[in-house]
Amino acid sequence: MSDEQVSNVSRGEMLKSLREMHAASVEQTQALLREQKQMQQSICQIIRETPKTVPEIAAEIGKPSHEVLWYIAAFKKYGIVVETGKCGDYPLYQRAKETQA
Amino acid sequence: MPEKKISNNETPSSEKVRVGVYTCHCGGNISHVVQCERVAKMLGKMPDVVIARTDPSFCSDSGQAVIEQDIKELGINRVVIGACAPSLHEQTFRNTVTRAGLNPYLYHHVGIREQDSWVHPNDPEGATDKAIRLMAAGLAKARLLTPLDPIRLKAEKHTLVIGGGVAGLRAALDIAHQGIRVTLVEKSPFLGGRMPQLESVFPTDEEARQLLNKLIQEVTAEESIKIITQAEVTGLSGYVGNYNISLTQHSRGVDGVTTEALMAACTQETPDEFNYNLTQRKVIYQPYPGCYPPTPAVDWEHYDGKPLQVNGKPFHLKDEPHNIELTVGAIVMATGFDPYEPRQGEYGYDQIPEVVTLPQLIRILSRIPKGEPLTWNGHAVRDLVLIHCVGSRELDGVNQPQADGQVNNYCSRVCCTASLHTAIDMRQRFPNLNIYELYQDIRTYGRGHEEIYRRAQNAMVRFVRYHGTELPEVLPAPAGDTHPVLVRVKDYLTRGKEIEMGVDMVVLAVGMMPRQIDDLVKMLKISRGTDRFLLEAHPKLRPVEMSVRGIVLAGTAQGPMNIQESLSAASAAAAKVAVLLGQGQVELPPFVARVDESKCNGTGACVEACREEGAIAMQTFKENGREIRRAVITPANCTGCGACVGACPNRAIDVQAWTLGQYEAMVDAITMEIPAILENVS
Amino acid sequence: MENFNVDTLVIGGGIAGMQAALDLADQGFQTALVDHEPTIGGKMITLSKVFPTLDCCSCITTPKMSSVAHHPNIQLLTYCDLQSIQESDSGFRVAIVQKPRYVDAHKCTGCRKCEYECPILIPNPYDRGLGAYHAIRVPFSTAVPQTAVLDMDNCILCGKCEKVCPTQAVTFTQKPETFEVQTRTIVLASGFELTPLEAKKEYGGGLLHNVIDPLMMERFLAPTGPYGRVLRPGDGKEPTSIAYVQCAGSRDQSLGVEYCSRVCCMYAIKQAMLISGALPMAEITIYYMDIRTFGKGYEQFYQNAQAMGVEFIRGKVAAIHEDDQQNPVVKVELTEDGRVVERTHDLVVLSLGMVPSPGSAGILELPLGDDKFISVPAPNARPCHTTRPGIFVTGTAMGPMDIVDSIISASSAAAATSAYIRAHQNGQASPKPQEEAVYA
Repeated sequence: MSDEQVSNVSRGEMLKSLREMHAASVEQTQALLREQKQMQQSICQIIRETPKTVPEIAAEIGKPSHEVLWYIAAFKKYGIVVETGKCGDYPLYQRAKETQA
Repeated sequence: MPEKKISNNETPSSEKVRVGVYTCHCGGNISHVVQCERVAKMLGKMPDVVIARTDPSFCSDSGQAVIEQDIKELGINRVVIGACAPSLHEQTFRNTVTRAGLNPYLYHHVGIREQDSWVHPNDPEGATDKAIRLMAAGLAKARLLTPLDPIRLKAEKHTLVIGGGVAGLRAALDIAHQGIRVTLVEKSPFLGGRMPQLESVFPTDEEARQLLNKLIQEVTAEESIKIITQAEVTGLSGYVGNYNISLTQHSRGVDGVTTEALMAACTQETPDEFNYNLTQRKVIYQPYPGCYPPTPAVDWEHYDGKPLQVNGKPFHLKDEPHNIELTVGAIVMATGFDPYEPRQGEYGYDQIPEVVTLPQLIRILSRIPKGEPLTWNGHAVRDLVLIHCVGSRELDGVNQPQADGQVNNYCSRVCCTASLHTAIDMRQRFPNLNIYELYQDIRTYGRGHEEIYRRAQNAMVRFVRYHGTELPEVLPAPAGDTHPVLVRVKDYLTRGKEIEMGVDMVVLAVGMMPRQIDDLVKMLKISRGTDRFLLEAHPKLRPVEMSVRGIVLAGTAQGPMNIQESLSAASAAAAKVAVLLGQGQVELPPFVARVDESKCNGTGACVEACREEGAIAMQTFKENGREIRRAVITPANCTGCGACVGACPNRAIDVQAWTLGQYEAMVDAITMEIPAILENVS
Repeated sequence: MENFNVDTLVIGGGIAGMQAALDLADQGFQTALVDHEPTIGGKMITLSKVFPTLDCCSCITTPKMSSVAHHPNIQLLTYCDLQSIQESDSGFRVAIVQKPRYVDAHKCTGCRKCEYECPILIPNPYDRGLGAYHAIRVPFSTAVPQTAVLDMDNCILCGKCEKVCPTQAVTFTQKPETFEVQTRTIVLASGFELTPLEAKKEYGGGLLHNVIDPLMMERFLAPTGPYGRVLRPGDGKEPTSIAYVQCAGSRDQSLGVEYCSRVCCMYAIKQAMLISGALPMAEITIYYMDIRTFGKGYEQFYQNAQAMGVEFIRGKVAAIHEDDQQNPVVKVELTEDGRVVERTHDLVVLSLGMVPSPGSAGILELPLGDDKFISVPAPNARPCHTTRPGIFVTGTAMGPMDIVDSIISASSAAAATSAYIRAHQNGQASPKPQEEAVYA
């Protein structure tokens, strides 16, 4: 498959037709993405200024703590969140300093 | 560059030195203590360093790719890597730089894990400073490295297998199947080792001797395998690919014509070690019917030297040992094990006649005809106790140390299944016999072994669990008791209740000990672990190889194993030999002495200092009509020990890649103030 | 992918498969190594440190992965499934499907720009689902090959990855490709899976967040793990009381797993030691029936753990439930004094056993033993031979074993395989001598 010659116009069309082909999974994943964006927003907002523990974040946004931890682990891996010390037996997490674009 | 005298041995190449310095996190092993980024930053400022990087693990494919890329794209021509011990991954990185087109000896490995982060876990500052110094020293050396070629030597496609038990036989067969000749040397007059002393083998319940005979048939049918029995290794020299071996072989003592008459005439008897000294045999003997070779042999160790009377005439048996010389490329150590011999009085052994070992019990059972009851020491056996972990899992302060002051703290891994297997057999043959297994943990780990444990439970074998700190006691019963022996034990399956039981027989499930092979160990310069078994080079990277190249391990010489495991290990050893000798040549590292002809004036001090045979010699050359004496190295025989370097009054001799000049540069770098190192360069 | 011929096809790129492939390739045999995952490394690459030496696992595994990738005699086939196998004159004709990566493997440099651009997070199986990665990603930092793979089932086809890729490697239209490998022999090294957490209903059936499997703990202890430290997955608490339940899913007739998985005692003890190092204040309890530390140096390891203060309690764990603080409560019958007690811990690790990996056995038409692992008809004579001539089995495909035993088994399978090839090669001049000097 040679994609190098595919122009921008046909690229858009190709993606569109592919999206139709994979309609079911694309729709499902789009729903997932909305949920993830929501999660990311609420978590990051809560810990933008003050570092918090996972149970604290979970209580504030009303989500189960194991789910929050999963997001925290993901955000930490991709540099969105950093660990900043501990509160009792729980590590504290804070939004990483956003790098200037 | 600092004003440093460079010895003439290093011929700095005309191209400019461009060093890449790589500090590895070792997945946290180093970076949890050493601040690797700081090390890289410091090194990056030092002379000739073009790039200094860190990586979570440079040994990974992606890490190696970084180094390769730097060599290709930045023109790096010297590489310094600070990581684990060189024994682990020096070779890995030699391959990396080779792939990138650089001579593999233009790379220097600095151990900052074993020599730094692991030993200074609580001093990150100090460890970081030390890492910088070690790396600076590595850099100082790397700048003086010159390209070298490994020494390539023809390798003899011939292997010596020491030991004719199941592991040695399997290794011999598998090596022969790879197109490599084999000489198999066995100390005793017969092949088979310990295996024929077993009757049936778990978990398949096959006849041990049938299995063994099949293997022996395959081995003897193989033309490229030469079997030498009643022989021992008495001399060794050389190196991987070219070991010169001397064997001493004893006479068999009898031959086809005289055999039967001599056997008949022989009256002298000696304890039969095949039956663990429970019975006697003649000094001209076959251990069991169907043994290989089938010809009887004379037991020279026990033969009293008196002539036999054959047809009314005296006949002298005579051992005329002779030497056999051979050259082999590799050696397989398949020297096997001995069952642990309990000391006198240990659980009543060698004091109470009712106490025997499990290997002895197997021999006893083999001698009871089918359908007949179990009797021992003249009485019927109704109650029998098997004690596990005798000579295994011993604890300091609880078990009495052995002659060498040590206890056997390892698990012998076969005894649990072997005991249960034997117990099931006995319950089937003697349905009225009560069997009690006194154990600590039942370790039926292997495939099909747990099934044996279940079968034993279903067969009403009783279990009593003791603690390793509270060993069972075995005592003679008072006269008039219902049983000859008393066993006392605290049973932790019934809340630590003290039990006393009268029994007719006590069987000690003894562990495995390595064969006594001190002479071989010394001769081959190989190592043993604290458990006294032969030690592999690395349990995961080189699990059947020894640290001496060309010597591999097969079977229980390395540690306790069952038959299946011994076979696997033996085949693995064969694979390693095939890789080593398959190409018909071996490579030795070029770290050998080299003479600087311009400085050597023939003092001969080096020859005197040299401890290796044929490594260095004085030769006379004719130059400009004058005769000049000079030292000449034979690289294949040189081990690079450096004794000659110290002896030479003219600094005319050096070990390649470890020259005096390089050492001096390293020492200077290590001892220098760090700011001074930096200053010195700018 | 063009069809090609080899001397041996190794199925499975875990430690056993890699070692078998290396031992055969080092002898000059043309070897293909096929793995259904997008990277080789198997289970071993996900471990933290290995017993009894406590070597870091990646120090042992990653260089082996690299050697496999660079070996001139090894053809690496990742992200490939076996489709069918037919006996042929000179061995076997194996049909293999290259699953679409949606990334051109020749163009991808492994720069991971796509991964950072992708908006979707999905559970990362290499972290047992407890960490995340993106729908397009390089599986992990030391993966071999370093090629991205896109998960089409979790993709919205936004095209961001394609746009950001500096080498135009992303190709949404890739299709599965079938090709054939003609091989003289096959080495099956398809490995194991853990008994699933869900299997043990009385231990929470996988519903208790703070009852985890041992491979999860391996990830917590590994420097590249999801949290970078040991935390309990329920709420991110650093546990101060951790318990191991041995034989959870082995020696268990109710699960049909009647055998001993032989590694669980050692990995529990090892993890206990590593946790002691990471969390010096933590109390660690191991509930067991028999401790089976039978390998070389293992008993000493057990004794060291006892000396370090790891608590060994002989007892049968009847059930585990959770209190209102998410703490697992272990109901255990203490066999040494007969009492039944309940003990509360922060985190419980079920020492789950090994079950065979699903897959290849069926396609290869190999009979299984009662334990569902590949049957070996003559273990005491030919420990790596299957019932089909020319097909050999190694590692945990033939039953539970630890890394040392797998490596030895792999070399042993290599010896059996090469002997078979030599005996059946009809005068053909394989193996070829290696041209390059190999410094190994």
